[in-house]
Amino acid sequence: MTTEQTNKNPLIAKNEWFIILAAVVLPFIFHFSPYIQGLLIFIMIWTVLGSSWNLLAGFTGLVSFGHAAYFGVGAYVGGLLYFHFHISPWWGLLLGGPVAVLFGYLLGLMVFRLRGPYFALGTLASAEILRIVFGQEEWLTNGHNGILYITTWVSKYPYYFVGLAIALGSVLTIKLVMRSKAGFYFLSIREDEDAAEALGIDTKLYKNIATIISTFWAGTAGAFYMIYMGFIDPEVVFALHNISIITILVGIIGGVGTIWGPTVGAVIMVLVQELFRSAFFDLAPSWVSRMHELAFGLLVIFVILYLAGGVVGDWDIIRKRLHFKRAEIKE
Amino acid sequence: MKYLKVIIILVLTAAFALSISGCGKKADGPVKVGVLLPLTGSKAKFGEMEKNSFELAKEKINEARTKAGLNKIEFVYEDDTGKPDVGRAAMEKLVNVNKVAMVTGGYSSSVTFAAAAVAQQYRIPFLVNTGSVDKITEPEAFNLTTDDGDKFYIYRLNPPVSEYASGLESLLREVVKPKSVFIIHENTAFGTKGAEAFQKSAEKLGIKVVGDESYSGGTVDFKPMLSNAKKLNPDMTYMISYVMDAAQLMKQARELNWKPKLFVGAGAGYTMPAFKENAGVASRRMVSATLWHQSLPIPGAKEYFDGYIAKFGGDGPDYHGAEAYAAATVVDDVLKRCNGNYDAATIKKALDATDMMTVFAPVKFTSYGKKIHQNKVETYVVQWIDGTLKLIWPKDLANAPFEYPIDWTKIWAK
Repeated sequence: MTTEQTNKNPLIAKNEWFIILAAVVLPFIFHFSPYIQGLLIFIMIWTVLGSSWNLLAGFTGLVSFGHAAYFGVGAYVGGLLYFHFHISPWWGLLLGGPVAVLFGYLLGLMVFRLRGPYFALGTLASAEILRIVFGQEEWLTNGHNGILYITTWVSKYPYYFVGLAIALGSVLTIKLVMRSKAGFYFLSIREDEDAAEALGIDTKLYKNIATIISTFWAGTAGAFYMIYMGFIDPEVVFALHNISIITILVGIIGGVGTIWGPTVGAVIMVLVQELFRSAFFDLAPSWVSRMHELAFGLLVIFVILYLAGGVVGDWDIIRKRLHFKRAEIKE
Repeated sequence: MKYLKVIIILVLTAAFALSISGCGKKADGPVKVGVLLPLTGSKAKFGEMEKNSFELAKEKINEARTKAGLNKIEFVYEDDTGKPDVGRAAMEKLVNVNKVAMVTGGYSSSVTFAAAAVAQQYRIPFLVNTGSVDKITEPEAFNLTTDDGDKFYIYRLNPPVSEYASGLESLLREVVKPKSVFIIHENTAFGTKGAEAFQKSAEKLGIKVVGDESYSGGTVDFKPMLSNAKKLNPDMTYMISYVMDAAQLMKQARELNWKPKLFVGAGAGYTMPAFKENAGVASRRMVSATLWHQSLPIPGAKEYFDGYIAKFGGDGPDYHGAEAYAAATVVDDVLKRCNGNYDAATIKKALDATDMMTVFAPVKFTSYGKKIHQNKVETYVVQWIDGTLKLIWPKDLANAPFEYPIDWTKIWAK
C-alpha cells in the first residue's frame, strides 16, 4: 500500500492499463453471451459498492454496516423521477450520487458522533430506517409494489460500458485521493483518531470528505442498478443482507484497505455465487444450487481465518502457497 | 501488482466455462419450457407444490407425446427465491442460456410482474399461472395499450387478485351478513392490491371497514395489531397472507381470544396444507376464498388430486397445484398447435387461439377493462372442517355444509 502512495508512480500503472484495455476490447473479440455480460455488469456494480465502502471502512476506519442506505437512495432518485414525472431514470445517474451525498451528510450528523461498533450500529440502523420508511410511504415511493421501468436497451453491451466507466471512475478517484494529502489524513484517522486530532488534522472535515466520496459512488452504483435492472423495491435496494453485508464481504474477501481489493472481491463473490447457483452449470446435482449462500459464507470464514488481509492484501502468502514454496510467511 | 493477473485469469476462466456451458443444444431434442418458481426461501412451500404438479403433468404429457411421435417437453425450473430481482435474473437465464421456447410459472405477484417485464422485452411468451396482481395482464403497465395484443407476450390463466373474493361476496351477502370488517394484509403487491379490492367489495355489500393494517412478511409478533383489531370488535376479519404468516396470525388471534363471527382468508396461505400443519387448532373453521377445489365437477380434478397424493403423499394440493398442472397442459396443447415451429410468434398465435378445458378451469384468453390475454375464472369459498379443506360455497357445488355460526370456545378447545 505504501508503495502505491508515492506520487512518482503514474496514476494508472502498466498492469492496470492492461486490465482496462482488456475490459474494453475483450467484449468485441469474444462476443460474450448476454448471460456473461450480466455477470460482468454485476461485478462492476459490486466493485463500485465495495470500493466505496472500502474508502470509508478500509482507509478511514469508519466501518459502515449500512451502505445500502446510499445505494438505495441513489437507486430511488432515478426511480422516483420516472415514477412521478416520467423523466428518464438516466438523470438519476447524474443526480443519484449527489443526493446520496446529501443523505450521507444528514446521516453523518447523527452517526459521526459515534465511534467503532457504535458507528457501525448507527449506520446499520439508518439503512433499516430508510428501508421501512420507503416501504411504508406509498404516496411517495409506491411502497412494496416497487418501481418498474422498461429498460432502454435489451442488449447489455451499452450497460457493460457504462458500468465499466463507473467502476473505473470509482477505483481511480479513490486511488487518486489515497495518493494525496487527504489520503494520509484518512489513514491517520483510521490508526488513531485522537492522535490525528492532536496533530492538528481537522478529523471531522476529513471524515466528511471520505464520506462524500464514498456515498457519491454508492449512490451512483444505485442509480446505475435502477437503470440496468429496471425494477427496484425497498426490500431489494435497502437490503441489510443482500446489499450492506455483501458489500462488506466483498471488501473483506478482496482486501480491506487496498485499492484493487474490492474489485477482486467482487469478481470472486459474483463467480462463486453463480457457480453454485447454477450448480456448476448443471454439471453438479441440483441441490448444490441451494448452497450458494452457504458456499460464499464458508469462503468468507476461510478468508477471515487464513487471509486476514484479503486476497489482495495477503497476495504474497497466496502466491507462496500456490508455488508450494515453504517460505517464511510474515504475519 | 501481480494480483491483477488473478482478475484476468478468473474472468477468462469463467468466460470460457460459461461459453462451453452455452453449447450442447440439440435441434431435435425435447422442447424446452422455462418454469419460474420460488423453490427456496419463505415461499418455497408454494414452489414445491407447483413444481410437483408440473412434474406430475409432464409424465402424462410425455407419455402421450411419445405415442403420438412428438417431441417431448422438458421443463427447465429456475428458482426466483421469492425476490423480484432474482426473478428477473432467472427469466434472463431461461431466455439467454437455456433458450426456452416459452416460460410459465410465476408465483408471487411482485416477482411475476418484475419478471414479466423481462419476458416482454425479450418477446418470449410467458404464461403466468399464479402471480395475481392485476397489472400483470394490463399492457398499460408495460408502456403498451390494450390494442397492442400482438405486441404483448404475457398471458394469464389464473384470475387477478381483484376477483379473488367474488365467490365470497355472495356468501357474505346471503348468509353471514356482517356489519363490519377488519382487513389485515401483507405489505406486498399481492397484499395491498387484494386489500384495495376487498375494500371495494365491502363498500358494495354495505360492510363498514373499521380498520386496514399491513405487516411485512416474516413478522414474528402480530399481537399489537391483533389486539388493536380485537378492540374494534368487527364482525369479521379478512386476511391476505402467505402461508407462514397466515399460521402465525391465526395462532396469535386464538391466543388473544379474539372471536369475531368469521375469520376469512384471501386464498394464498390460507388454503395450503402447510397452514393447517402450522396453525394447528387455530386453523379450525377458518374460511377462505379459493380458485379451485378437488370436488368441483371439473373433468380430471379428482384424478389429479388423488394422483398427487399417491406420488408425493401429504394432504394433497390446493388451487396453486391445480394452476400449475393446468399450465403444463395448456403448454402441451399450445405447442402441439405450433406444428413443430417453436418461434415466439407461432407460440403466441397458438396461445391466442387457446380454448380448452383443464383440471383447474376452462382456459381461454380474453380482453376486458384494462386487461388483455386474461382467463376468466369462477371463485369459490372453502372452510377448514375436521382437518380437511371443504368446499362450502356456492351451495349447489358444495361438498360440505357451511359451519356457521361458530362457537370458538368449543372449536378452539384442544
